[in-house]
Parts: sequence; C-alpha cells; structure tokens
Amino acid sequence: MSDISYKDKGSILGPFKSLSFFSRKPVTEPFEPRIAADNYRGFHVNDWDVCIGCSTCQKVCDNAAITMIKIPGLPDDPVMGIRNERPAIDYGRCCWCGLCVDICPTSSISLTQEYVHTCRENELDSYFILPDPNGMHNKLFPKGWSKTGDADLVDLERQPMAEMEPQSRSDNFDEIVDGFTKQQAIIEASRCVQCGMCHDSCPTNMHAPEYIRAIWEGDAEEAVRQMYRTNPFSHVCGRVCTHRCETACSIGRRGDPVAIRWLKRYAMDAVSDERVREIAAEGKADFVSGKKIAIIGSGPAGLTTAFDLAKNGHAVTVYEALHKPGGMTRYGIPEYRLPYDRLDADIDVIKSVGVRIECNVRIGSDITMEQLRQDFDAVVVAIGLQQGRSTRIPGSDHEQVRASVDLLRMITAGESFDVPESVVVIGGGNVAMDIARSLARMQKSQYGKVAVTVSALEDFDHFLADPEEVKEAREEGVVILDSRGPKECVIDKNGKLEGLTTLGVISIFDDDGRFAPSYDEVDEQLHHGGMVIESIGQMSDISLFGEELTEELEWNRGRLQADEDGVTSVSWLWSAGDMVHGPDVVHAVADGHRVAASIETYLNEGSSNNE
Amino acid sequence: MSKELNLWLDDLLKDIKIIQFKRKNSRRVRIDIAPEALPALLELLQGRASYVHLSAISCVDWIEENEFELVYHVWSYETNSLVSAHTRISREPGVYLSVYDLYTPAAFFERDIHEMFGVYFEGSPDMEKFILTEWNGPPPMRKDFDSEAFVNQTFNWEEYHPQWLKDIEAEGGGITTRPEDVR
Amino acid sequence: MRPENYEAIKQPPSNEFELNFGPNHPGIEGNYAFRVKLNGDEVLSARADAGYLHRGFEKLMEGRLWIQNIALVPRICVPDPVPMEVCYSLAIEELCGLEIPERAQWLRVMQLEMSRLAAHLFAFGGHAATTGMYTPMFWGVADRDLILDRFEELTGGRVYSIYNIPGGVRRDMPDGFLDRLGALLDYLDSRLPDYDSLFFRNQVFIRRARDVGAMTQEQALKWGVTGPNLRATGLAFDVRRDDPYLAYEKIDFDVVTQPGGDALSRNLVRRAELKQSIRILRQVIKHLPSVKGAVRCPIPNPLAWNVPAGETYTRVESSKGELAYYVVSNGGDKPYRVHVRGPSSMHAVQVLEKLAVGSRLEDIAQIMFSLDACPPEVDR
Ligand SMILES: Cc1cc2nc3c(=O)[nH]c(=O)nc-3n(C[C@H](O)[C@H](O)[C@H](O)COP(=O)(O)OP(=O)(O)OC[C@H]3O[C@@H](n4cnc5c(N)ncnc54)[C@H](O)[C@@H]3O)c2cc1C
Ligand code: SF4
Ligand code: SF4
Repeated sequence: MSDISYKDKGSILGPFKSLSFFSRKPVTEPFEPRIAADNYRGFHVNDWDVCIGCSTCQKVCDNAAITMIKIPGLPDDPVMGIRNERPAIDYGRCCWCGLCVDICPTSSISLTQEYVHTCRENELDSYFILPDPNGMHNKLFPKGWSKTGDADLVDLERQPMAEMEPQSRSDNFDEIVDGFTKQQAIIEASRCVQCGMCHDSCPTNMHAPEYIRAIWEGDAEEAVRQMYRTNPFSHVCGRVCTHRCETACSIGRRGDPVAIRWLKRYAMDAVSDERVREIAAEGKADFVSGKKIAIIGSGPAGLTTAFDLAKNGHAVTVYEALHKPGGMTRYGIPEYRLPYDRLDADIDVIKSVGVRIECNVRIGSDITMEQLRQDFDAVVVAIGLQQGRSTRIPGSDHEQVRASVDLLRMITAGESFDVPESVVVIGGGNVAMDIARSLARMQKSQYGKVAVTVSALEDFDHFLADPEEVKEAREEGVVILDSRGPKECVIDKNGKLEGLTTLGVISIFDDDGRFAPSYDEVDEQLHHGGMVIESIGQMSDISLFGEELTEELEWNRGRLQADEDGVTSVSWLWSAGDMVHGPDVVHAVADGHRVAASIETYLNEGSSNNE
Repeated sequence: MSKELNLWLDDLLKDIKIIQFKRKNSRRVRIDIAPEALPALLELLQGRASYVHLSAISCVDWIEENEFELVYHVWSYETNSLVSAHTRISREPGVYLSVYDLYTPAAFFERDIHEMFGVYFEGSPDMEKFILTEWNGPPPMRKDFDSEAFVNQTFNWEEYHPQWLKDIEAEGGGITTRPEDVR
Repeated sequence: MRPENYEAIKQPPSNEFELNFGPNHPGIEGNYAFRVKLNGDEVLSARADAGYLHRGFEKLMEGRLWIQNIALVPRICVPDPVPMEVCYSLAIEELCGLEIPERAQWLRVMQLEMSRLAAHLFAFGGHAATTGMYTPMFWGVADRDLILDRFEELTGGRVYSIYNIPGGVRRDMPDGFLDRLGALLDYLDSRLPDYDSLFFRNQVFIRRARDVGAMTQEQALKWGVTGPNLRATGLAFDVRRDDPYLAYEKIDFDVVTQPGGDALSRNLVRRAELKQSIRILRQVIKHLPSVKGAVRCPIPNPLAWNVPAGETYTRVESSKGELAYYVVSNGGDKPYRVHVRGPSSMHAVQVLEKLAVGSRLEDIAQIMFSLDACPPEVDR
C-alpha cells in the first residue's frame, strides 16, 4: 500500500465502499462487566496479615491519597516491627499509578481488575476506602497490578561490608570489620524508607530514621547530633549493638534490613572526636545545680545516667572498681569487635560534659554505701554482672576450670596467664564465642595452631550465639559441638586437668518448660583440654551492700528489685543496667536515661519541697 | 559538511571572550553568556551558523542568587545540533530584551515567561496575559509563590467520615497520620 | 475566561463582527478558545485564548519527588501521553548517567509508536468530523480503542499508562503480548484501505482540505513549526532520525513529506505515518524477543533519590512534533525546574492565529485539527 500523493484527486465513489459495512455483524458490548487485563490498575486490596503498617505507601503516594488508620485488635509489636495501622485510600485523589504497590516493603498491597466505582452525591464518603483482602464492593475481583520481581522499588540488597579474611585475622586482635566508605554509607542509607520501625523497636528509641536520612544527605554531623539525643555510647553501639532495629526493619521483611548499626558506626567515625564532643555538649545546662550524685559502676548504664545528669548541671561522680571505665564493653567485649580507642572516644565525650570517673575505687571495701548515702543526694548502683556462674559438675572446682568473664577481663587488662594448648568451652552463647575466639587468637600466635572446642547444650537450630559469630569462629579454627551436656571435668591422678566429658542431649526443658536437661548416658565423649572454661551466664556481686542495706532492700529471686525507672525500695538508691534488667549495651543505655530522668524528678521534687 | 560546521562553530565561539562554551556531546552545546551579548550571539548563530529553529526559551528562578536564568535552545537543521545559550539577569526588576525580531516563536515563550515568572521582555509583541487571564496574584512559577499553601487557603478538602471509620473509632482506633503530615 | 466574565460583544452595524469560538465547541480540540474577527464569514483576525486546561504541571513537579512525577506528566497531553513519560525519564536518566537496558529501549519505542498510532487515529478522525464526516471519526476512535486494549494489557492503564520510569520501564511485557500486538497491526493494516476510501482519498475531503491553512516551508521554519506539520511543507525532519534516542537508530523507517503545507498535506503525512509506525512496530516485534535481560536498571529508593545537580534539554518526536523537557536539578530529591516545550505551543497559538487570517470561519476547526493542536500541552 503506497502513500497517497498530494496530486491524488481522490474518488467520489470511494466512500460508498463503506456501505459494505451494513452487511457486517454489529459489535455488541455485553452488559456484564468486561474482564480487565491481568495487569490492570484498579482498586486497592491489602492483605492485612502481611501488611505491617509501615506507611511507606503513604510516603510514595504522589497524590497525598493515603491516610493511615489505627485498627484496634490487629497485632501491634514494635519489637517485631509491626504496627496496628493500615492504609486507607482517598479515591478522590488517587490516580491509580500503583507506586504504592511497587514500593510496599511487604508486597501486601495490590490493585485489582475492577474498573468502576461511582455513587450518588450524598454518598461521597464511599470514595474513602480502607482496603482489606476482600475487595471494595463486597466482591473480590482478581488481582491486577501487583508486585513482581522486576517492579520492586525497594532495594533488597545491602551494601557489602569489607572485612578481614580469616587467615589475616586469626592470630591478632585487630578489628575485623572495615566499616563503610562514604559512598557505601550514602547508598546504604538511601535504602531506608523512613518507616520508623527501628526507632520504635530500639530500647532507647534512637532516632535512626533521622540519622540515616542525615547520612544520606551527606551530613554526618547531623547524624551524630541525632544519635546523641538518645545514645552516648554511639561508637560502641555502632560496632557491637545487638541491633534490634534491624530485626524490626521493614525492608528486612523481604530483603536485607538496612545496615543501621554500620551506618551509625560510619557517622561516628566520619566526625572528629572533637566535633562529637561539641555536639554532645549542645543543650548542656549553663548552671550548677549544687546536687551531687554518686554512681557505682562505669559500664554503659552508669555512664549514661552520669551523662544525662551532668548535662542537667549536677555534680556526678562515678566510682569504678577496675583500672579503667567501660565495664563489660571494655573488659568483656573483645578488642577485635570493639577497639579500645573507640570505647575511649565515647567515654571521653561523657567525661567532657563534666562527669568525674574515679577508677580503682571499689564500693563496699574502699568506700561504704553508708558513706555514699551521707555524701550524695542520690546513689545509683550499676555494677553489672561480674561473676561467672559455675556448672558445679564434678571437677569444676579445679584451678584450671575458669570463668569466661574472668579470662576476658585478664586479656583486656593484659594480665598474663598460661594459654593452654588446648581448651574446652562450656556454653553456646555470644560470650562463649568471645572467649573461644579470643583464646584461638592467642593459641594461633603462640603455638601456630588452634585447639578450641565449644560444647553447647542447644542444637544448631536453636543456637544462642549469632550465626555470624558461629561462622566466624569456625573460620578461625574453633570446633563447635551442639547438643552436648557437660558431665565432668576429668582430672588425672597427678591432679592435672585432662579435659571435659560430655553427654548427648535428649532434651533441655521438661514438660512444664522448666530448664531440666536430660542426657543420653551412653553417648559420652571426652574432649581433651588443659583448661575448661565455663561460660553459662553471669551474676552480680552484691557484697557491696553490706548486711544492713541488703536487709533493707527488696529482692526478687536473688536479683535486686527495681522498677522500670530503676527505683529501688530505698528512696536514695537507684539501680540500672545488667544487674536489674539487661541484657545488652543498648538496654543499659536506655535504663541509664530512665534512671537519670527519675532522679531528676526526685531532685526537683525534693528541692521544691524544701522551698 | 555538518562536522565541519560544528568545528567551525567551536572555533568561532572559543574566540569570543565573554562567553563560556561547553560541548556536551556531538549534538549538544552549552554556552553561558552575559545578557548584553546574548542577542548578538543568537544573531550570529542564526545568521551565520544555520541555527534557525528556536526550540524554546526556558526560565529558571534562582531565588537565592536573586537571578533569573534564561536559556535559549536553538537548533540547526543543517548540523543537527542544539545550542543552549544560558544567561542570567537580575531578578529585580526582571527586564530583558525580546529576541522576537530574530525568532518569531520567541513571542510565545516570552509571553509565557512574563506571565509565569514576571520577566518583562522589551520589544516583545505581546506581553498580555494568556493562560492565567483571571489571576491577579504573583507570577506563580516564582519560587517564592507557594502553590500548595495557596490551595490550602483557597479550597476546602473533602472531609470523609464513612461508617467503617466510625466503627473503628468506636473501638478506640482511627486516623493516625494524614497525608499532609508526611509531606 | 469564566463565562460570567464574558463581555457581550457589541456588534457594529456592518458585516464585521467578533465571535467567541470555544472554549466548548465541537470544532475545538480540548478546551480552548479563539476570539475571531470576521467580515461576513471571512476571518480578519483570530486571537487564541488559553488557560482552560491549565493545571500548573510545571509548578506541581517542583513539589514532588522525581519519581512521583511519572504519574503526572502523561496528563500533559491526553491523546499522546507516552512521549511525555519517555521524555521526562530520558532527562532524569541523562542527569543521573543511568544506562537503560536495551530491552527497555525497545519497549519504549514500542509504546511510543503505539501511542503515535492512537494519536494519529484520533487526529484524522477529529479532522473528518470538523468537515461533517462522522464515520471516519467513529472508526478512528474505535480502532484507537483497540490500541488502548493493548496498552491496558501492557501497562495496566488504558490512557495514562505510567509505564515508564527513570531507568527503564516498570514491568516486562505479559506473555504472548507481541502476538496480540502483531494481530492488531494486521488488523490496522487491513483498515488503511478503508480509511483511504472513506477519507484520505475521498474527493470531498481532498477538495475541502486542499490549500486550507497553507504555509510555506519558509514560514513553517520561521514560526517554529515541527513534526508532521513541518514535514507537510516538504522538509524531511524527524527527531527520531535526526536527533535519535532509544533504539531508533537501529530501525528502518521513512521520514515522510508532502509538498502542500496545507490541511490536506498534513493529513496525508499522518496517513503515511500510520504505515510507518506499523512498520516500526513490526520491527520491534521481530527484534524484541532476541533482546533479553532486565527492563530497568537499578535505581535508588524513590524516597531517597537525589538527582545530581545539572540541567538537560531532552527531545523526542511526539505525534504532534518536537516535544522537549528542560529539566534542572539542584542536586535535590525533587526537580528544581521542569519546562515542558509542547509542540502545540507553536501551532496551536501563533501559527493558528496566522493561518486563520483570510480563511473562512468554517475552516478554523479544520485548520486546528489538521495541525493536530493539543491545548493541554499549551496550558500545561
Ligand atoms: C563477653 C561479653 C560480650 C558482650 N558483648 C556484647 C555485645 O556485643 N553487644 C552488646 O550490646 N552487649 C554485649 N554484652 C553485654 C554488655 O556488655 C552489658 O550488657 C553491658 O555492659 C551492661 O552494662 P552495665 O553498665 O549494666 O554493667 P557493666 O558493663 O558490667 O559495668 C558494671 C561496672 O561496675 C563495676 N563494678 C562492679 N562492682 C563494683 C563495685 N563494688 N564498686 C565499683 N565498681 C564496681 C564493674 O567493674 C563494671 O565496670 C557483652 C557482655 C559480655 C560479658
Ligand atoms: S507499604 Fe505495604 S506494608 Fe507498609 S503500610 Fe503500606 S501496604 Fe502496609
Ligand atoms: S495508586 Fe498511586 S495515587 Fe493511588 S494511592 Fe497508590 S500511590 Fe497513591
């Protein structure tokens, strides 16, 4: 068919050709609603069991058509990253672009193959819809536009983190993880959809959405400012936090959660220590209150309390029994996970707002509690859990049977001990991994080979230590045995420790869910080791209280009784951190803030009463 | 032929002092030039270098620098390339010269820019309102005009309160975040 | 202007009088008006009156995230929305240095040509109606609907497909799509002779449209006319060929011209372009299956997407001519400025005003439709 020439005069008869159309069958549209295409962008449906109420759809909506509605009765669990909110759509605004569908982190929302909604003028309310799984006109149309792999607007993959190879890290205590470069941090931060699940799940409610946004904007100082709103242990948490935020992260529903912890670390490392000190001091009271507070223990709980109170203008003295401040973050967590200079940086910031730390002072022996009570307006005890628990199996009183926390403390303090050529660790938690991996490093550098066996009660499906810890420990030569219960520390006739015998585990809990392991007596193994290390938990050394105060205080199954705000049964005494709540740094920090706030109220009430 | 013309243009433009010249690719050239020299440049481009088609004039309000940027996009059907000539004028009083005598399409773009940004083009055939005939407010494309605020002040949003919402409210739930809260 | 603000035109006791033509008139495309001065039925002058479709897109875009605007831009031109999406996306891709996958390039060409076909069917149907021939209009609109069916299937939307996104397209085609597209092309091919006998080679049309609204090539160039209207004055220029984008360099097609510069030539160019678009689409159908891989390159999270500071002037050939976006980023998550150069901003305003002079009142509609003027593009 060639093109028509401009000169073509046309035909007067041509149009009559169309008369032939009279003989054609007319096109009749059926009365039934027609079937829309598989991909049609009709009305919303939302699977409420999958939707987590993150409101990301609301943020991407180009027509401001989405309102979040709280629906009582739906699960609401900040720790799991679920809110009892669901999106409602204003069809007076929606343009059916489907961007909400393409971004939804859970893929819960989609559009159906339904074409029409209309109503009379007095029914305009019907344009405001709360999409549920059932369709909007009591009739469920098939799904149209829904999330497909190539359509995802959420980046499910995390920026890779560079770290040391096993060969180069296994004989030293150098930090394993490199940290993000600026470029990586910005890209990683850009994955965030600002849903705030992280904030809600964090024990101290860190402003993670804000600091992630600031990192994305290239403003690390602003990020640090956001962190110091809630966490004076940001270097520490940027490295070793148990990162509940990442468990709650809505991107983690289908992909890798945003690397919130590494982003925190990046921002802290990107800003000079001096600048961090200036930022941390912002908002510090410009008066001296005249109140004095004593804090026992310089772990994260004690120091956070101290930081807050010092910023409020009070005179705070922290007493620490050991050489250096930091508590378990220094004497527990190994250096390859948390270099001391980063911990020192955090503590320097805390000192810079006016906190006085007195090390080598053990309360109870060097100064009594009674003295503190007399000299100070309030006293906080935040002494953590310093003593290792024992299995009390036969032979466990041998001198070569040691507690993991004691050894870790010695390693940090540089106190020498004979590194055994082979060692058995009892326990399957992160502390067991820390001691196993620390000793593996020392063996490797002294003897050139590693002989560490970890024997854990739990099987690998229910393991307590983090999977990365297990993986990395194995890479470093540690042998990990699961489902083994300790039976006896075997001692030869010369009194020398030979090793540990273990039994196969049949079950750990009894029918009532109580801890009562039962073993297969036939399945016995001997693990050779010149040292056996017990790493099955820690407890508080409460001897500092003395008899009288111990009597006066209330206790709960051997634990000091303290409420959410750390208030004990004695009016001048608060308690924070591991010894009352636990189990990790960020909880200790959160505790510290609450205790500080409680003391603040107490002091204010006290002074107004006096006036 | 078109290649030569391009080379010739590059040489020619490099010699002029008051301008900055950047070749983005074989078909795109950016020129930055002082406002007093722009008409002469366009005359040169049109008369001597075959850039006969004024594709558009774009205006950008750089409010922080207190300047308007005017960009003249001219196309050559011979070399198949586009020159974008950028110039900046002061936001106050926002007056510039028309290039209508060189390019007829300028009349449309200048009128549009006048209406939307308030830039007055001396010598343009028609500076009357065109699209916003009944608008007496500030030129709306200026950065200091907040159209969303204007809409919120001028119009009422439909307030919905359907039965399902009432039911949820009765159980203690209800609206938590409105779309305007996250904008 | 709102009706209540109309002033009654005082008619002098002579043959000369003024008339408001539009904004609601079957002879007007969209909502648009002319104030026409007449002597009898001869047009002495015509003045365009726009603004009835002004939605403030350029301003709106400055307040929305880069990606949110993909749902906005197609609305700038109702009959031919795809070029808006593509042009906007191309601009962002250039600013970000995004390399879009080859498959996406071909998918974009496919949609662009489908959209061109639909727009041209609309245009000639509309033109026919202005001369009292309604059957071609029905045919054009009905056949356009079949293209919209394919759009619905491909993109989830019939008119505003919102299928393109910076980085590529939002989803791959459904299974068997190309077969159904092929069948549609066969059908449309078979319809061309029908259109011809009913309209393009209909003597009534030819005699009615010849010499109406004529311009010379020199005038067209001077007035900034582009697209089919320019080609109808004999100049073979087409952005697809002469400032190529996407996969057009790899595709064979003719840039069709006609010599007359009048309403007839413009329609004949569009008629020939129907065939060219079918030809392009056949090449797409043949080639696309061999282009494997992703339909979109990785893009940042739309909620945290800063486009690097810079500016770009991006052009595509829409069914109405040269469509361009001038996009400026100041490095933020929203455009700092977007200027849309709609092709109709030339031929719906100045050009029409000029061509109307000396024509007859009943030809104004014909001229407007032969130019395929699209008022929403002017108003933005
Ligand atoms: C090996 C190990 C690894 C860990 N790894 C992590 C981890 O990766 N991530 C994480 O979040 N958490 C980790 N934790 C837990 C975390 O370290 C603790 O939860 C946290 O340090 C508790 O803080 P705290 O302030 O309550 O107590 P601590 O940090 O234990 O501090 C208490 C301080 O009080 C001092 N003290 C005790 N008695 C007295 C006294 N009578 N007078 C003066 N001072 C006294 C102690 O010397 C100590 O410095 C780990 C713990 C251990 C043991
Ligand atoms: S983005 Fe998805 S999961 Fe989040 S609230 Fe919206 S529908 Fe629910
Ligand atoms: S379809 Fe688009 S406009 Fe409608 S609610 Fe979703 S994001 Fe908003």
